[in-house]
Amino acid sequence: MPSMELTEFLAPEAVLASVRATNKKQVLHELARKAAELASVEERLILDVVLERERLGTTGVGNGIAIPHGKLAGLKRLYGVFARLEKPVDFEAIDEQPVDLIFMLLAPEGAGADHLKALARVSRLLRDRRMCEKLRGSDRADALYALLTEHAASHAA
Amino acid sequence: MEQINQAILLGGFLVVLSILAGMFSSRLGAPLLLVFLGLGMLAGEDGPGGIQFGDFKLTYLVGSVALAVILFDGALRTSRQTIRLAAKPAFVLATAGVAITATIVGGVAFFTLSMSPVEAFLVGAVVASTDAAAVFLLLNMRGTEINKRVSATLEVESGLNDPMAVFLTIACVEYLLHPAPLDWTLGLFFAKQMLGGAAIGIAGGFVLVWLVNRAELAGGLYPVLCAAFAVSIFAAAQSLDASGFLAVYLAGLVLGNRRHRAQATILRFHDGLAWIAQIVMFLMLGLLVTPSKLLQHVGAEIAIAVVLVLVARPAAVFLCLLPAKFDWREKAFISWVGLRGAVPIFLASIPVIAGVRDAEVFFNVAFVVVLVSLVVQGWTVGIAARFLGLALPPQIDKTERTDIDLPLVADRDAASWRVAEHSPALDRPFAELPLPRRARIIAVIRAGTLLNRQELKRLSVGDQIIALVPPEQSIDLDRLFAPRPVRRKNIDDMGEFVFSGDVKLGVLCAQYGVPFEAPNAEQTLADFLAERLGPDAIPGDRVALGPVELVVGAIARGRATKVGLELEAPDERLPVLRALQRLGNAWRSLRGRPRTP
Repeated sequence: MPSMELTEFLAPEAVLASVRATNKKQVLHELARKAAELASVEERLILDVVLERERLGTTGVGNGIAIPHGKLAGLKRLYGVFARLEKPVDFEAIDEQPVDLIFMLLAPEGAGADHLKALARVSRLLRDRRMCEKLRGSDRADALYALLTEHAASHAA
Repeated sequence: MEQINQAILLGGFLVVLSILAGMFSSRLGAPLLLVFLGLGMLAGEDGPGGIQFGDFKLTYLVGSVALAVILFDGALRTSRQTIRLAAKPAFVLATAGVAITATIVGGVAFFTLSMSPVEAFLVGAVVASTDAAAVFLLLNMRGTEINKRVSATLEVESGLNDPMAVFLTIACVEYLLHPAPLDWTLGLFFAKQMLGGAAIGIAGGFVLVWLVNRAELAGGLYPVLCAAFAVSIFAAAQSLDASGFLAVYLAGLVLGNRRHRAQATILRFHDGLAWIAQIVMFLMLGLLVTPSKLLQHVGAEIAIAVVLVLVARPAAVFLCLLPAKFDWREKAFISWVGLRGAVPIFLASIPVIAGVRDAEVFFNVAFVVVLVSLVVQGWTVGIAARFLGLALPPQIDKTERTDIDLPLVADRDAASWRVAEHSPALDRPFAELPLPRRARIIAVIRAGTLLNRQELKRLSVGDQIIALVPPEQSIDLDRLFAPRPVRRKNIDDMGEFVFSGDVKLGVLCAQYGVPFEAPNAEQTLADFLAERLGPDAIPGDRVALGPVELVVGAIARGRATKVGLELEAPDERLPVLRALQRLGNAWRSLRGRPRTP
């Protein structure tokens, strides 16, 4: 199974370099707003599925990383939004550490295997500690996008 | 006089050197026993030490006592839970598994060493049992914790399989000395060995518990009493033609799982004793061997070792564990950790002492097999566990607990803990610490001063806690006072996301579009896992769910409270292993019992 490229679902304009937020809900709001703009879906709907998913168990996977995600009926393809926070916020993460790097992934209702592949891809990318350090050290959206996708290219080779 | 002093100096110096060398080598991940063996060889006739040592009788004597001590110590630390988890598979491996291994290895010896069939089978028998010392050490010393069912099986197997190897060895040696057609006396001998050993061991264990609890002794004498009694049980069984190894192991299990006095002292003493036994035995075996002689048949010896590691052991494990609840990865790991240690070398000295013709061949083969096993397998246990996805995150980081040996305080132990940085105990006021029900903190010492517990608001790092706690709950206090485990590894080992056990199966499948026809969508993950894994599920157990896998994360009262979701089953990353697994699945479906949906 070929692994999925990040560029297939992350656009340069979907990267937010220094988001200010004070809590989990605000963070999700910010990302949902961006996703709504890109995918032309209602922000409310996005927030609903993502919060619904958080209720099953946190997507704060530890080390300051969160990968909120969900499935949405009106989407045509996968959409990713990445945000780097100015200040970490509490995300009820499994290691109880505050979170500052967030990748939101939205999938169309029938995405099935693609959804899983994309999630696995994102999760593998953000498990790389050095990658996270670099992401934390950069406050420009284009640099963040380059970091995220450049790694994808070298990984696929 | 001068000679005696020199011998003592040499002995002491070698042991000191072994310990120091072991300390350095553990940074390289080298198996300790290998270091001891290597030092023995260096000190021996072909090494710079140049010591001439060829006394097989002394080796047999020291080896017997050392093995008895090691088995007894290992058994003392084997909990009831471990036995319950592993009794069945370990028993099959320790009996049928030993026979299968011996037969396959014997076959290779027959062809490569041009021996008679019985001699060849003797080669197989000598190397057929896994080594308790090596397995105990490796499983306990590695930084990574291994799936409990697997480690328990390996541990109990290694404790139980020596008697079978001893029996096969003695039977072969007997036959080589006095060839006689096989008849019922062999069966009788087998029954005597096993049943006799079991009876003497269990009875001896209970007598020892009784003795320890009744005798009023100076504190330091309890462990000495136990050690002497254990060795006596071993020797008594051996003199009655019963298996001393089985007896001493079972006696240890009995003592270790009954309440008795001076538990902490006994354990600590035997820990040291087992170390001495290991060091002395491996040093001595290293001294005994003459490396230049090994080279005569080195091709055949290595061939035998390779077949043992790659064919005989896996065949025995996969055949013996067919009916058991292990997946192929666990079986592969159990195959790989079939470590050989002192026992083969020890068993190989039996034909030499008994006067079998050309008996040194057995000794040399055994030695090469052990060397290969320790180097190749011993060095790679951690890698194998990670490669096969069996390594678990360390549950608790190192706790600083010191047991305090009080004379039998009802059924609670006294111990002291140091409050570590980032420990959960620092999160709450002292009065609200979540102590287990029957645990009591009796003192808090800060910077050498005893604090008034009534006025103490909060613990701080470095405080020394003294508490009374029932033995089974001391782990809860370990958790309370230890630094919070780093969860990074959890992410790797439990999959991408973690769910509570109460989440409904149907909801999870819908969330991820998992094409899995749940028989009951309303079933919770905990129920589903309990149904698939049975009551003995342990953290790290996995159940496939269509293309993803559920991983048991934490267990409370037999039910999964935390469940990980692995989006890419590990075999995605390892095409060869995936192919093997497919073969396994095909085989299972041929046999009509698909294991996973």
